[in-house]
Amino acid sequence: MRNFIKKAVALALSCTAALGLAGCGETPDAETGAVDESGNTVVKVMFHVDESSAEGKAYKQRVSAFNTDYKSENIKISATFKARDDNSMTGYDTELSSMLNAGNLPDIITFDAPNCASYAATGLLYDLSSLVPQDVQDDFISLNEYDGKLYGLPIQESSAGFFYNKALLDQAGVNVSGYTVENPWTFDQFKEVCQKLKNAGIQAVDMRLRENTGEQSTYLLYPFIYAAGGQFVSQDGFTATGYFNGTGAESGFRFIKDLVDAQYTSFTVGADSNSDFMNGKVGLYLSSGWTIPDIREKYESNFPSGWGILPYPKGTVAASATGSWSFGITDNQHTDKSKIIKALLYLVTPESSKAITNATGMIPALKSVETNYAAGSPESVLRNQLQTTGKERPVTVGYPKFSTCFRNVLTAINGGKSVAEALNTEATSLQQELNKLKGV
Amino acid sequence: MWGSVLLILACFVALFVAFSVKDVVAMKKRGGKYRIKTTMAAYGMLAPAIVLAFIFVMLPIIYSLGYSFTDFYLLKPNDIHFCMLDNFKDIFREIGAKGDMYHAIVNTAIFVVCVVPLQIGLALGLALFVNRKLRAVGIFKVCFFAPVVISLTITAYLWMQILSPSQYGLLNSFLGLFGAEPQDFLNNQKTAMLWIVLMSAWQGCGYQMLIFLSGLTNIRKELYEAASLDGATAWDQFLHITCPGLRSTFLFIVITVFVGACRVMVQPMVLTGYQTHTMTLSYYMYVQGYTYRWVGYSSAVALLMTIVIGSITLIQRRVLREKD
Repeated sequence: MRNFIKKAVALALSCTAALGLAGCGETPDAETGAVDESGNTVVKVMFHVDESSAEGKAYKQRVSAFNTDYKSENIKISATFKARDDNSMTGYDTELSSMLNAGNLPDIITFDAPNCASYAATGLLYDLSSLVPQDVQDDFISLNEYDGKLYGLPIQESSAGFFYNKALLDQAGVNVSGYTVENPWTFDQFKEVCQKLKNAGIQAVDMRLRENTGEQSTYLLYPFIYAAGGQFVSQDGFTATGYFNGTGAESGFRFIKDLVDAQYTSFTVGADSNSDFMNGKVGLYLSSGWTIPDIREKYESNFPSGWGILPYPKGTVAASATGSWSFGITDNQHTDKSKIIKALLYLVTPESSKAITNATGMIPALKSVETNYAAGSPESVLRNQLQTTGKERPVTVGYPKFSTCFRNVLTAINGGKSVAEALNTEATSLQQELNKLKGV
Repeated sequence: MWGSVLLILACFVALFVAFSVKDVVAMKKRGGKYRIKTTMAAYGMLAPAIVLAFIFVMLPIIYSLGYSFTDFYLLKPNDIHFCMLDNFKDIFREIGAKGDMYHAIVNTAIFVVCVVPLQIGLALGLALFVNRKLRAVGIFKVCFFAPVVISLTITAYLWMQILSPSQYGLLNSFLGLFGAEPQDFLNNQKTAMLWIVLMSAWQGCGYQMLIFLSGLTNIRKELYEAASLDGATAWDQFLHITCPGLRSTFLFIVITVFVGACRVMVQPMVLTGYQTHTMTLSYYMYVQGYTYRWVGYSSAVALLMTIVIGSITLIQRRVLREKD
């Protein structure tokens, strides 16, 4: 009898728990999305950052603002945060794959710009071309497009440039005040500056070559290949042979190799936790906009004569790094995107853009966002550069392999291999991957 | 998805039932009295372990086995097709073209050949050292075992600091005392794998040391006393008493270190990233599956790895057993 009572209690508790859990969820709606107990259509958004970070808090604040503003329309955003893996991105991809497999993809996701092609080609992203008004599209500095269609709206923009230590440049007798985005320095002028710094016994430049284990070095160095007149892949993103190992690409990588050979830079500069530039040992430092708050908050006193940012040097053309994270709508089971697009457009309004970039220190993705950057300030150089010479990383389904091949060329340069030989090897490898991807 | 899981579960249950029936039949043949309650209690106690093994071991293995014959692309989990042996053909084509797979095999082979004797030798040396009656031997044991307790990722980060190419890196600072220029140990294609081997052997040998130590305590002291009386040197005693006494321990250690070495991934991942000169088979498999998203191909690599490692392990067992 006692056993029977125990079993009955356990069964009752299990049933209660199961019913309770079932009651927690929203009622699925095949077309518009889930509907909560108050009758609100729930738009699910997945962000790529930790919710306790400054960026995460900014997203939460915008989500909260949306939920207040759209209460009358019965639309509500439900946010989830899945912190990305900085180096490989594999955790985020795996999460998306699991959701895709289980048929519960969120309605809106954030994604890194180079993933646009693969997410679009595999049908994970929804074509936004007809959903986003033209005037909104025109306001963006750049858009995430693939195969002529719009798939993503950037959350914010990033660009990179050469941070300089004015005291060291003065010591070497270098004046860089004439090098602006409108009148960028050339590859030769860049080398001249490096030579003068070297002559003064100063390590000329940190090109971040030692960071060739993740996306960092690819992101910072790819503009040199475009600037030298090179390409990485064909327009459709499926041919690497003749592009990745083309003459333009070769001269771009050769420029980098020349800097190493002339000892203007090396694979060991800045190995001491990026502090060589911050501690006044390196004249120039290639980095992105996220270094600006870092210097201001921690190292300002190390630059008594000041510091600034110079644009990327120009080869046959001018090119600079661009591309950050974007919002996209997934091609999930919710076929009616009318409410989802309202949420997306709210997250990219000038107010949202400003709130998010205030938290991250990045550049707003919208041209219309008022910024109070002083003329010639680091932020204004980067924003100006983005709008005039920004060129996105290659749009190809095989981007992860491309990034590896790019880094392999740098490793080969470090190993003393010839640029042409390294490019041929990597172009063949990349082409094999792209051939495989044609079937996806 | 759930259909296939249920199918696998049904097969597993069928297997389970078959084993139970076999037990019953065997028991009846022996003339024993069969008690269903005893059997049920036994299987009931085994059930949690079996369920966990099924979910976390069997299911992934079965899925991986199945995926190796498909074109599964991570971003298209609902569009998987059987491609027969295409993945395996690609693997051999990659090896033939001296692509990444070829480098992964070569690097893994170098790692295994270097790390297995080094790690076992170090472990044996340390075990012999701490087996002596020394003062504060416990402190030595703790010191030698400590790296095993620390996460491999953290250990690798610590070694990154030691091997930092900066003049302030620990090793470079030391070498600087003798006037040497700072070296980039991990970006040097000729020395990077060497450092990964050293770090791995250092990190892992403490665990094998403990196993050797337990093996050493099982060797009777009288044997050493008798050998001493017969005039055997310390080396003779090691060769003719310690080594034979440790044979079964040695067999276990060789196999476990070998299998562990074949699966090396964290060390190159943290220390050098995905580079031609340090990529290993497990790392290659991981990158193919998760970075390049070819889950089917990656599963095929895993299957081949399992077959090759399993075969070599069986050969090792046979060779070392024959000596017994």
